[in-house]
Amino acid sequence: MSIAVKEKETILEFLEAKFDPSEVEVISSINEKGIRNVNDFAFPTKKDEEWRFTDLRSISRNHFVPVDQAGAKDVGDISQYYLPEALNSRLVFVNGVFDAKRSDISSLSDNITIGRLSEQGDNEAVKEHLDAYTNYDEDKDAFAALNDAHFRDGAFIHIPEETKTESPIHILNIFTDADKAFYATPRVLFVGEKYSKATIVEEHIGLADNEYLNVPVSEYKLFEGAHVHHARIQRDSKKASHVSRPIANLEQHAEYHSYTICLGAKLFRNDPRVVQNAEEVDFTVDALVLIDGEQIADTHSIMDHRRAHANSHQLHKVVVNDNAHSIFNGKIFVARDAQKIDSFQENRNLLLSVDGKVNTKPQLEIFADDVLCSHGATIGQLSDDEVFYLQSRGLTEQKSRELLVYAFTLESIESMEVESVHKLLLDEVIKYTNRDEEFVAVG
Amino acid sequence: MLEIKNLHAVVEGEDIEILKGVDLTINKGEIHAIMGPNGSGKSTLSKVVAGHPEYEVTKGEILFEGEDITELDADERAHLGLFLAFQYPVEVPGITNKTLLRESYNTIARSNGKEELDPLEFEDYLKSKLEIIDMKDSFLERSINTGFSGGEKKKNEVFQMAVLNPKLAFMDETDSGLDIDALKIVADGINKIAGGENAIVLVTHYQRLLNYVKPDYVHVMIDGKFVKSGDRKLALELEDQGYDWLENKTMVNGEAQ
Repeated sequence: MSIAVKEKETILEFLEAKFDPSEVEVISSINEKGIRNVNDFAFPTKKDEEWRFTDLRSISRNHFVPVDQAGAKDVGDISQYYLPEALNSRLVFVNGVFDAKRSDISSLSDNITIGRLSEQGDNEAVKEHLDAYTNYDEDKDAFAALNDAHFRDGAFIHIPEETKTESPIHILNIFTDADKAFYATPRVLFVGEKYSKATIVEEHIGLADNEYLNVPVSEYKLFEGAHVHHARIQRDSKKASHVSRPIANLEQHAEYHSYTICLGAKLFRNDPRVVQNAEEVDFTVDALVLIDGEQIADTHSIMDHRRAHANSHQLHKVVVNDNAHSIFNGKIFVARDAQKIDSFQENRNLLLSVDGKVNTKPQLEIFADDVLCSHGATIGQLSDDEVFYLQSRGLTEQKSRELLVYAFTLESIESMEVESVHKLLLDEVIKYTNRDEEFVAVG
Repeated sequence: MLEIKNLHAVVEGEDIEILKGVDLTINKGEIHAIMGPNGSGKSTLSKVVAGHPEYEVTKGEILFEGEDITELDADERAHLGLFLAFQYPVEVPGITNKTLLRESYNTIARSNGKEELDPLEFEDYLKSKLEIIDMKDSFLERSINTGFSGGEKKKNEVFQMAVLNPKLAFMDETDSGLDIDALKIVADGINKIAGGENAIVLVTHYQRLLNYVKPDYVHVMIDGKFVKSGDRKLALELEDQGYDWLENKTMVNGEAQ
């Protein structure tokens, strides 16, 4: 009898590789590293601690082709997705490819650099910061490796010292219908110099109900006293797989507040990581997840406190309906000398169905002795008493449930700074809770 | 207005009978008090009348203005003009009192073919009712019962009742946990709403509230049944002697059976 030893699987088993390094040197060196890694790093399985609960079959039962071989449909008019606050500060990427016609950056002041990574090859900031703060190689991260190997372009935003963006910057990633499942690797590099201030809305929208693999990497570098409000809205196709790698690296007195909204995708895996690189920083890693049907939403976050004096908060709110599955693993690291850390993590789950599933795991690794770190996780249903209370006031059962779900999500939505995003999310919550029935607007 | 006939009820899915044959008739303009020791079933009766899904009626019927409402959902009963002031009002963070009441008021108006109020009209209407419970305008903008003191929660129930103007209200232990000032405000509020076309049922353990709101009838419930009915004097008797003499009597009856 012979024992067959199966070689480890890489992500290349599930896609048609087409990696020609970029002609831009700063990108091509990352491409070359990525190509090595993508051939080397194993595709995760449930035996990996970080992937224990995650069903990856929407990727592993598929075969994704490069977008130019996919027969992608024309994008058409997408002006309904433009944020009114960011009409002249918008970068659009369609299926991962920059769309100059639909982008508009005319409102930004001259000293702010915003544009395509591929046209910024000689920019010192790009050379210095692109791929400078990720830990994905040490983690043997197959998805970040795919992005590294494949990206040719991306969004680059550079806010100079003491400068503030007057309007939010909207990075709009649109995915169209296509004949074949395809993959895309959006990339963002943001550099906020000393005492700069910016609001960024990164959005992913699927226009149809098709399968694709979306693997974005976002790198945010905040220098001393820089302030960033970062909203990430994921409205991919309900059949898409989205594996996201956002990282922020903070210098002294920086403030970074990020809010992730998960509404779409069959599989959403999000690994936000915030690294405190100097003393006295303030950061937020909030999320609101609304899933139903067969959706899987998995967040593995890291709040990495490496220096003294930080305030950090994480409110991760989840609503699960039907057979959907939410996974949350929130890591709070505090290094040995990182004293006086005040960190708070809360994961609240609302289960609306019998078959919905929630896995939650706080993970605190604290090596300093003068810190205040706390965490909490709750999984609950709408109680009969709550529903009865509202029903006894004349509201239908459906309306009562809607109102209670709406109330549950409101805290997260109110953190949104951009008015139209706030409005958009209220509509999405109404759509989510309402589904088939007629809705009577509240308040 | 309300006629309860031989009502039996169990907790949904369980065999234990909580209401064991309740009969009660309430007419327009009347104030009734239902008294009884803890666990006698008086709160259950209010919830069953309001349509709480936790309870199942196994026998008997509830007629409201001649219509059998036993099978109706709680919201349908509210549309007909029934109201329950909760013993433990539920907190709903994120939804303001104003939002809920406007939704409630207009839903009930719609189902009765009456005119709905637009936000401005409704705001004026709400403010006109605030004095009943001696609360400020800011009360309207607060999330429903969230962070309210016990007294504020009970006042909010009376306020909701004033706004929705039900034909019949069951008030479940609205007096419990109130200090003397709050008790007077709540009682004044009830007195302002009571009378005329409305009927009110006060469900209470103590007769304290009944010093301020004078009931026309007092019923004593023990072990899921009314064991004695009378006028206000009965409440005073209970205050003096407690429930023991009635409980003993039922035990004797029980043994006799």
